[in-house]
Amino acid sequence: MIRVLRLAALLVSAGAASAVLLLLPGAAPAAAHNVTAGADLRIAQTIAGTELTVVIKGTARVPGPLRIGVVAYQPVADLPVNLEVRSVTDGRTVSGVARAARDPQFVRLQVGQTGPHELRLSAGGEVAVVPFRVLVDRGSGWDFLIYGGFFVAGLLLVGGLLTGALSRRGPAMLLAGGAAAGLTVAAMVVVLEPQLPTGPPDGAAPTAGPQAGGRPFVQSLLETVPASPVAGEEFTLRVALVDGATGRPVDDLTVHHEALAHLVVTSEDGRRFRHLHPLRTAPGRLEVRMRTDRPGRYLAHAELEREDSGGQLVTGSFTVGGRPTEPSTTEPDTTQAPVEPDTVGSPAEPDTAGPPAEPDTAGPPAEPDTAHPAAVPRLRPAAPVAGRPTTIELGTTEPPRPWLGMTGHLVVRSQDGAFFGHVHEMGSPGSRLRFTFSFPRPGRYLAWAQYATADRIVTMPFTVDVTAPETVR
Amino acid sequence: MKRVLALCALVAAAVTFFVVGRASTAEPVSVRSAGAHYAVTVVVDGRTARVRLDRGDADTVALSAVMPHMGHAMPEATTREREPGHFHADGEVFTMAGAWELSIRLTGPAAEEVLTVKVLVAD
Repeated sequence: MIRVLRLAALLVSAGAASAVLLLLPGAAPAAAHNVTAGADLRIAQTIAGTELTVVIKGTARVPGPLRIGVVAYQPVADLPVNLEVRSVTDGRTVSGVARAARDPQFVRLQVGQTGPHELRLSAGGEVAVVPFRVLVDRGSGWDFLIYGGFFVAGLLLVGGLLTGALSRRGPAMLLAGGAAAGLTVAAMVVVLEPQLPTGPPDGAAPTAGPQAGGRPFVQSLLETVPASPVAGEEFTLRVALVDGATGRPVDDLTVHHEALAHLVVTSEDGRRFRHLHPLRTAPGRLEVRMRTDRPGRYLAHAELEREDSGGQLVTGSFTVGGRPTEPSTTEPDTTQAPVEPDTVGSPAEPDTAGPPAEPDTAGPPAEPDTAHPAAVPRLRPAAPVAGRPTTIELGTTEPPRPWLGMTGHLVVRSQDGAFFGHVHEMGSPGSRLRFTFSFPRPGRYLAWAQYATADRIVTMPFTVDVTAPETVR
Repeated sequence: MKRVLALCALVAAAVTFFVVGRASTAEPVSVRSAGAHYAVTVVVDGRTARVRLDRGDADTVALSAVMPHMGHAMPEATTREREPGHFHADGEVFTMAGAWELSIRLTGPAAEEVLTVKVLVAD
């Protein structure tokens, strides 16, 4: 009879195992713009002339509340941000008003169902529409087998005991065998559950399983509105993103370091720098309002990432006409980088290889409290060599606060703008930032280190001179 | 003894058939989408699709399918209004199984609007 029990257990195990194998090809949902309970969606936006990060906290059930807050990284005086969440499935819309603050209050907006939604943000006369999906975990379907197995085992054990008590040996053993089988299934699923595939959560986008190779490249078409912007006057920088394979608008940007796109605009001479997070105003269209005080040619480098793909860099340039004006105080992270060869240190000076920012030689700073006048980077090796890792260390005046998912950011541009790099701080303790980067070619690089403090974003400009590797003798 | 074995084999077979049967059924998939002027229900049945107008008054409905991963774009498919508010695509809309993005371009007296849905086309 024991053999019968073993066989029964074995067969049931085999049945469960075959079920597991058959279910394995289940697809996992893509992780783009998904709002689930416990996983916040954070999107940086340059809106109303300031840097905000919109945080959407998910719900564990529908109907249920989404909690939305707007974190300010620069001083704002009671900036209201209108929020409107619309279900793309049925058009149901709920709205509220959030106040941008360093530690914001979260607004609760009730959503009726899972699936695709749009968050419409408006502040300071600007509007952004952020698509996202509300997902709710269905719970593991394997729970059914666990509870079912234990239930059957319990039931049959009681039956087995009763029949045993009535001296009916054969049926008693059969029931006990069934109980053992139930226990085996339940125990197996308990042990294997972490490895078992679960179905996609409610509201997930349909996928055909893991896809290799990513998506086609993005091409960008950059334009300004008006077409010929003038120094001192506000204009809109518009980036149209087009799929290189189909020609359609690219509307599948995933949140990449807490933004749909990181747009760095620098003047050709490197004296002006902005790190912006443009607003999605329509499918495949990103826009940001800006103003500059200096006429001339400007370079735009935008980092972005499509769903299921790696990061990409798209570039463009535009020209600002007119006459130089006084720097505007409404552009908090406008900053200058001195790039005059005569005023900077040479790579031969070991401790000061990276020349500090010298606001006096570059005109008045846009806003004194955001420009860091005495940023002297410490370089290792002191004379950076092309192709080899260089570590750049900078001190901070205040403890940095995470911004865009990192403690610090270093933007690097070759003098002609043909090369662009974005380096992240690697988690140095205390009030310092440390970046490691391999400059690809010898020459002068313009660099801007950025970090956020309690109430502002600090930008530290400097330059790095990179030498050619010694020739092998 | 034999009866026990047979019973267990039967249970295992039933589980297998249930799982296989559930995985391979290709039922028509329907997805809803609502825009500013129109709301539709798209039903994907095999390689073709039909659109039911839930809100708005559209004269024409055209469908264009794209497979985002592959970078495949299909020609825009016209539809015929077989009964009021029910637009059926002329011929095949999708060429293969997989994840597709279907753009529904609706034109009518109110406005032209494009609604986009994601659908999984089964074999």
